[in-house]
Amino acid sequence: MRAIYRREMQSYFYTPAAYVFMGVFLTLASIFFAVGNLSARSGNLLKLLAQLSYLWMLLSPVLTMRLLAGERRQHTDQLLYSSPCSLGALIGGKYLAACTVLLMTAAVSFVYCLIVAVYGTLYLGETMVGYLGLILQGCAFIALDLFISCFARSQMTAAVAGVGMNLLVWFSDVVASAVTVRWIGDGLKFISLYQRFAPFARGQLSFSNVLFYCLFIGIMLFLSVRVIDSRRWSEA
Amino acid sequence: MITFDGVTKRYGTHLALNGVSFSVPKGQILGLLGQNGAGKTTAMNILTGCLAPSGGSVSIGGYDVMNQPRQAKRLLGYLPEQAPLYDEMTVRSFLRFACELKEVLRASVPGHVEDVAGKTGLTEVLDRKIGNLSKGYRQRVGLAQALCGAPEVIVLDEPTAGMDPRQSSELRTLIRALAGEHTVLFSSHILSEVQSVCDRVVILHHGRIICDSALQSLRQGEKRLRAVIACGEGALMPALQQLRSVKKVDTERGGEPGTTQVVLTADGNAPIERELFTLLSSMQTPLLRLAPVEDSLEDIFLRATSDAL
Repeated sequence: MRAIYRREMQSYFYTPAAYVFMGVFLTLASIFFAVGNLSARSGNLLKLLAQLSYLWMLLSPVLTMRLLAGERRQHTDQLLYSSPCSLGALIGGKYLAACTVLLMTAAVSFVYCLIVAVYGTLYLGETMVGYLGLILQGCAFIALDLFISCFARSQMTAAVAGVGMNLLVWFSDVVASAVTVRWIGDGLKFISLYQRFAPFARGQLSFSNVLFYCLFIGIMLFLSVRVIDSRRWSEA
Repeated sequence: MITFDGVTKRYGTHLALNGVSFSVPKGQILGLLGQNGAGKTTAMNILTGCLAPSGGSVSIGGYDVMNQPRQAKRLLGYLPEQAPLYDEMTVRSFLRFACELKEVLRASVPGHVEDVAGKTGLTEVLDRKIGNLSKGYRQRVGLAQALCGAPEVIVLDEPTAGMDPRQSSELRTLIRALAGEHTVLFSSHILSEVQSVCDRVVILHHGRIICDSALQSLRQGEKRLRAVIACGEGALMPALQQLRSVKKVDTERGGEPGTTQVVLTADGNAPIERELFTLLSSMQTPLLRLAPVEDSLEDIFLRATSDAL
């Protein structure tokens, strides 16, 4: 897993992927911070964190689109599958590398906390809970997009399908309100990442939602392994 | 070292491999031949664990590829038809990654990379980006990654495809040098290449093995002689067809006027020369030239695949 992780990290910084992700995210985040906090003279960062979670949703496919679709396109998947590295380690290494770039980005965004702490009042507890939710939300999107990347041959397909699925999972509670069959509606509400993030955006730590995110990530990674493994039985 | 035991692979209704069984002893270079769609790449993908067989089993060094993949793949180096390369990496960092994938001890990775690069003639380009290398060098990098970890088994799927004759020749020399130390499974469309590199040939046709033989014994199966005889074709041919050991007589055009050029085919150990001399002396006809016809692998391959139709 370490070899895969190291290579993916190198690849993120040898290619524009990590720079694009971090650059676009931090530029937009800074604009939101300037408008919502500096201009409005507000020390409440939870609103900003809620806006940043939308950015994860739109930008996370930048990190995941090449993870598996790129390997298929370059035929480097055969190098990985013929090595002693297990599929679990392969998916795990790739996932951790994408999460590391996401965490690095989140770490840079802590500068907003510092600015608020220096020039105003930082509600540390609530803000940290908000950050926990933001990071879990980002990691969940990456797991989902990695799973989507298993099906795609081109990076563009993986990215577009990733954004689409992120939107679907994010807004599934909105879809649920239009569904008349109760159990389907309840199911859609249950998987809505928007609903899961809402308590964190209010500064409330919810262990059941932390558990939900962990399970969601675990299931997505497990399904990714199964999809790749099943391809060995069927692919022409 | 490599064992295919009744391997079958089905894609829907199409049977890509049909009960393929063969084994490759340690140190041998085996050439896998076949027309497009014969099942060569499928067989190689099953051997390397990239595909699962529908039936049968494949083992490397006694380890079943499906049930003990980690142990089996530790013994394996694979160069697919299209070299699996990351263009954004330098040759050195790519080979280092390949060593880590093959679980080479961390401390010995730098030395191992230098060693493999030296063997494959990559020392000068170790710090260049793979994306900037020529086709020949890219293929060498592909071969170098297959050699990382000093695997006992090396699988090469058409390694010289798209290379110029000089690059192909250099790569063939390199592969030939692997014999003894490594067991090599090698597939190619270029039959002369297989002839110059391999000890043994397996010919696949429509997913079945139609020939499995050492190159030497393939050629020994039949004897062919080219004879130039100072006699008209009309008088000569009926007499030649009477020879007991001759299975087939083919005339060839382009001989000198008043002579006939023929190719006589007989079993490998038939006394065809003796019978021919006796016949021609009884006819008081001079034999101007007699030479063996080297059966090329192309001939053997075409004969094997047309027999199987």
